[in-house]
Amino acid sequence: MLLNPEVLTLLILDFVFAFFGIIAFILSVKIFLKWDLSSTSESQYRLEKQAFLASTIIKYIFLIKVPLFLFFVFTLDKIADVLVGAMCGAGVVDASGYGIYLLLLKILNIYIFAFWLTLHFNDMKKEQQPYTRLKFGVFIPIFFLFMAELIVEYFMFSDIDIHQMVDCCGTLYSNSSASYISVLFKINTVFLVGLFYGTYIAMFLSYLYKKRYIFSVLNVLFLFISIVSLIMFFGTYIYELPTHHCPFCFLQKDYNYVGYLIYVLLFVGTFNGIVCMFLDRFKTSLYFNSLYVVLVSSYVVVYYLKNGVLL
Amino acid sequence: MIQLKDITKRYEINKNNTITALKDINLEIKEGELIVLKGASGSGKSTILSLIAGLSKPTSGEVVIDAKHISKLPDNFASIFRRDNIGFIFQKYNLIPNLSVEENILLPLIPLNLDTKVAELKLQKVMDKFEIIHKKNNIVKNLSGGEQQRVAIARANVNDPKIILADEPTANLDKKLSISFIEILKQMKSSNKTIIVATHDPLFFGLDFVDREIEISRGNII
Repeated sequence: MLLNPEVLTLLILDFVFAFFGIIAFILSVKIFLKWDLSSTSESQYRLEKQAFLASTIIKYIFLIKVPLFLFFVFTLDKIADVLVGAMCGAGVVDASGYGIYLLLLKILNIYIFAFWLTLHFNDMKKEQQPYTRLKFGVFIPIFFLFMAELIVEYFMFSDIDIHQMVDCCGTLYSNSSASYISVLFKINTVFLVGLFYGTYIAMFLSYLYKKRYIFSVLNVLFLFISIVSLIMFFGTYIYELPTHHCPFCFLQKDYNYVGYLIYVLLFVGTFNGIVCMFLDRFKTSLYFNSLYVVLVSSYVVVYYLKNGVLL
Repeated sequence: MIQLKDITKRYEINKNNTITALKDINLEIKEGELIVLKGASGSGKSTILSLIAGLSKPTSGEVVIDAKHISKLPDNFASIFRRDNIGFIFQKYNLIPNLSVEENILLPLIPLNLDTKVAELKLQKVMDKFEIIHKKNNIVKNLSGGEQQRVAIARANVNDPKIILADEPTANLDKKLSISFIEILKQMKSSNKTIIVATHDPLFFGLDFVDREIEISRGNII
């Protein structure tokens, strides 16, 4: 599977990122240990130049990595065509033992990379660059997650055997699934939908009362509840099929690629909500989260108006 | 007040070859002073000007202007400081040859997003003051050396900066035009600006309105 054009693109980019990432990591360790902005020594001026270089490298890697997640999802979908049994990205993720770990690691990393970028842009806005030491300190553990992602990505794609039959999403996201996903089907749907809208309303109230920590925690909850409710409830209205729960199929052309919009709205909204712990991003978060709620809810409303019943 | 504290500046040509332009320089310049930095080519005069302007950073030491640590400013903030506080007159004028006189003078005002009327007013004032208004629509590459120098001086003053730095301002001018530049310098001094001129032109030595002459030799103040 390594010679697939999209996979090759991802792996070449990974190689380039790893090369520059290692340089940035070495500089970050040095800066974190020796940074003293008040010093006017030669070594401090050299560190300031190196800090500029390292932060530029990290900034561009992360600025590319965050949207590259969408390309990764697109790649999964694309290679589903050559795997026997796979109907969408879900089958590809399941085709390798590393798939699910890579997907989870990637989702975790886009939040972490976006957090680092936010920290960096706020640092650059201030004359004293108060977060310089912190951002390089934070990069040190992030680097290991970043490298882990690149390594797992290589193992995942090299592990896929195109001659081996894989499960389709209809099997994977069903009550009979042998995996942890079957647990989701034990959740009461009415309770889940109530929890989804309840969390959204609680988020809105915490914004009105400017409770930033509660707002952040609610955004973490909203992210998980949204994904589960998307699989268990809203997705079925996108497919107009009560038995289809796949979180990948709506990324395809048949559904006007709406999945990309859904995930971008959710990730941008919840990310901005989580960083409200440090920065005032209430409005951006609520704007994107509200668009997400309106978008997924509209499928239910439209279905009801067309058919007069709910699924 | 401009303070240079223990400034050393080395230029790295390659790994084994560095040039020390300044060695442990200490200098204080009071507000409104007119200083002439004199010395041979390569003595370090221009390096002092570029450090004060925040165009380059010292290898060690510190530049402080009105309690602001210029040498510690990130590049984007150094640019803002320079835009608001410093007017630079270069040896080769550094004008944009295909633009007109008024377009060249207006350049430093572009990032300020000033109201058009305010910008026009500043432009008129400075062109009047430095007697270049009659050439305002001329393309600068068609002007004489002396006229180009006047445009450069007008451009350095259009934003009314507190500090004027002039690097070998008469190097490309004949004696008559150099004397004319000195007259302009006297005029600028009367508006209470801090002016630093780096030159090896003897016409600047012993002038009565110059507050101090500082000689630089091989990166040291003598």
